[in-house]
Amino acid sequence: MGNFFHAVGDIATNTSAYRNAIIVAVVLLFAASGELIAEKAGTINISLEAMMLAGAFSAAIGVDITHSVWIGLVCACVAGFLVAAVQANMSHRLPADQFVVGLVLNVLVLGLVGFLTSSIKPKSAVVRRVKIPLLSRPPLLGPALFDQPWVLYLVYPLIPLVWFLIYRTRWGLEVRAVGEDPNASDVSGLHVNKLRRQTIYLTGLLAGLGGGYFLFARAGKFEDSLIGGRGYIAIAAVIFGGWTLKGAIAGCVTFGLIGSFVLTIPSLGYQGIDPAFLAIAPNVVTIVAMAVFAKRVRQPGALARPFIRGLK
Amino acid sequence: MTPAADHRAGGLPDSPPAAEFVEVSKRFGRVVACDHVNLALHRGRIHGVLGENGAGKSTLMKMLIGLILPDDGHIRIHGEPVKIVDPIEAARMGIAMVHQHFSLVEPLTVWENVALGDTGRLDPARIRRRVGEISEQYGLEIDPDDRIFDLTAGMRQRVEIIKCLRRDPEILVFDEPTSVLSPAESEFLFAALRRVVEDQGKAVALVSHKLAEVISASDEITIMRDGKVVDYRPTAGSDPATLARAMVGRDVVLRREHAAFGVIDDSGDGAAPVKQPVAQQGQPVLRITGASVTGRDGRVLLDGLDLEVHAGEIVGVAGVEGNGQRTLGDVLSSLCPLAAGRVEVGGQQVATGQAGAMAGAGIAIIPEDRHDSGCVLDFTVAENIFIADPQRVARRGLMNRAQMNGMASELIEKFDIVCNGARAPMWSLSGGNQQRVVLARELSHQPRVLVAAQPTRGLDVGAIEYMSSQLRAAADNGVGVLLISTELEEILDLADRIIVISNGRIVGGMRRDEVDIAELGLMMGGAQ
Repeated sequence: MGNFFHAVGDIATNTSAYRNAIIVAVVLLFAASGELIAEKAGTINISLEAMMLAGAFSAAIGVDITHSVWIGLVCACVAGFLVAAVQANMSHRLPADQFVVGLVLNVLVLGLVGFLTSSIKPKSAVVRRVKIPLLSRPPLLGPALFDQPWVLYLVYPLIPLVWFLIYRTRWGLEVRAVGEDPNASDVSGLHVNKLRRQTIYLTGLLAGLGGGYFLFARAGKFEDSLIGGRGYIAIAAVIFGGWTLKGAIAGCVTFGLIGSFVLTIPSLGYQGIDPAFLAIAPNVVTIVAMAVFAKRVRQPGALARPFIRGLK
Repeated sequence: MTPAADHRAGGLPDSPPAAEFVEVSKRFGRVVACDHVNLALHRGRIHGVLGENGAGKSTLMKMLIGLILPDDGHIRIHGEPVKIVDPIEAARMGIAMVHQHFSLVEPLTVWENVALGDTGRLDPARIRRRVGEISEQYGLEIDPDDRIFDLTAGMRQRVEIIKCLRRDPEILVFDEPTSVLSPAESEFLFAALRRVVEDQGKAVALVSHKLAEVISASDEITIMRDGKVVDYRPTAGSDPATLARAMVGRDVVLRREHAAFGVIDDSGDGAAPVKQPVAQQGQPVLRITGASVTGRDGRVLLDGLDLEVHAGEIVGVAGVEGNGQRTLGDVLSSLCPLAAGRVEVGGQQVATGQAGAMAGAGIAIIPEDRHDSGCVLDFTVAENIFIADPQRVARRGLMNRAQMNGMASELIEKFDIVCNGARAPMWSLSGGNQQRVVLARELSHQPRVLVAAQPTRGLDVGAIEYMSSQLRAAADNGVGVLLISTELEEILDLADRIIVISNGRIVGGMRRDEVDIAELGLMMGGAQ
């Protein structure tokens, strides 16, 4: 066990461990900020995973064809949006059960992407790091936050934008209202399901963008295991954060740190810890965190409940 | 005094009514909710729309507000035929409705709720100002930054009214506005309503099943029964007996029927002799001491509640909705544990919050919301009767369906339940008969205590009468009955002893034969 504490000490002072943690935290954050809005409106959007994966794959295809990272990112958004369009219209127009639709989409997109990857084999691009002067100066957190591939910086303006959208605009007020009490919102003259669909579209754009970002920031090469369950972790982060933006950010950073630290252990030369334990550690921590935090906060009143006029 | 009289007498030619239903019909499946209804709302008048539960009043108003489309006939606004497809369209035409169950989103603030349904850029400062203006103009004091769930029912209704008035509607609809208000709050509401009508010349529809309040607040009255308009008359000079007859379609003689219309008959004539408390001495069958419950969001739901029920008496828990009645019912049906305090049945403490413990101790319950926790709509009548205790018709885990249906048929006969036999699905029964199934199930266990939470809500007069006589009969058989109701009239009619619940505690009580209605009203309003 002495070995273990040594490892913890080394990781806590390891610049690349923090850098990796932020890279992972940011992909979670792209997805979670969209998911937060969708959940505020009353949808638990399980297909987040599919949106991210479709985004990453499309970004790889886009950049392979055009050699432009920007176009790759646009492709990512479009792909995320397409998955969202299916989810939104199935669950808030027909309405089919949102969980069933989400799970089917996740399986479908994973299969489709796996098949296409093996037949197309898209080449991707690595995005270079851009160092922001001064801000990247402080040790550990400086480079982790401000000496990163430039695509990561897209998340910084996004956060205040999402906050403003939820808490300062009429649309945000309406979104919160339909997630709390769809019947009251309906008689107040809001289009409950339309608003819910809109939040899912937005989630698709953001999660797709997140998938594209992750491809460029992390992998450089597309594999169908790239997202690897991070969509579910992002959903967990939203719940962990008690349906607030601040909390969701804290959740993403926490899960990012845990994941990164655990994976850094072998690369620092510590071989004594079972790799199987390392692989499951982030998920164990997620479950524990959920058990501790999830009961304390009030969730949106109509979360995961479909709205059909005339039904209570 | 009322322009309605002129109108009926063919006096001055009136300008076209603000809103008019012309031969409007609506069917839901086989049920005709509205049958060729004609009704006109005029500016500067309060039009009472009176009828029993299920007479079609609410359906009619929902068509005006665009929540339901008529099958037949049409609606005219200022003489123009219109098609109102949704609440947004209705708002554009100047129609606003104060809903029976509020249309407020509880976690949001007052001004946020007022802003819902508007369009354009969100301007909190302007909305707060507008709320201030309206509340000053009509005497509806409110803080725009309060959250709805911190407000009392009376305050919530103010928000609801402000929300309606902010767009300066021409036509205002109030759907059962006093069902959650204390007597003082109701009076306040009608005073505000009168101001709105007289100062602004708005047309108001007041939908209610309470005769007394319609008579005191309206200028003209339309009475509906079984989806049809059966009477229309100016309010001045109408007497309750005639209106009651029109509502029910026959003479109304019983005292408890008067109660069902919200008329407090305190003359004592024809009243059942008030029972002297039978067994006040000795052990109560049900005793609750110091019961406290805190909700998950930290709100105090029950705050040291004490009460006792003796065998053979009916104790009525009066109070304005939302003062802990629902939680009290939940505790007594084992749905919710106590944070402090205890529940005893026959002197034995009963564990709270443990499934089946209360029923096992001999507490039967007619729950507040029979669809939510009283029965399973997709099960058969027999299954609903034995759902709580299938052991009675099972051996070694196998249900004996023949025995179950047989025993259920006996109960169906005994309780006079109108249905297609024991195998009929629960949803095929009327509300009153569903309630009888619940009653049959609960009473067939030979309970020591019967808790009836809002047992007559949503029932018609016949069903109310039946339910009341069953509660009385249960008490006469030695069951301790706890009647929880927001209808004061119902409690005055049935209870031997009345206690008042306010803010999660019992604030006072009195025997039925010494009742002082004014004092009861004060207690319900929160005065100690």
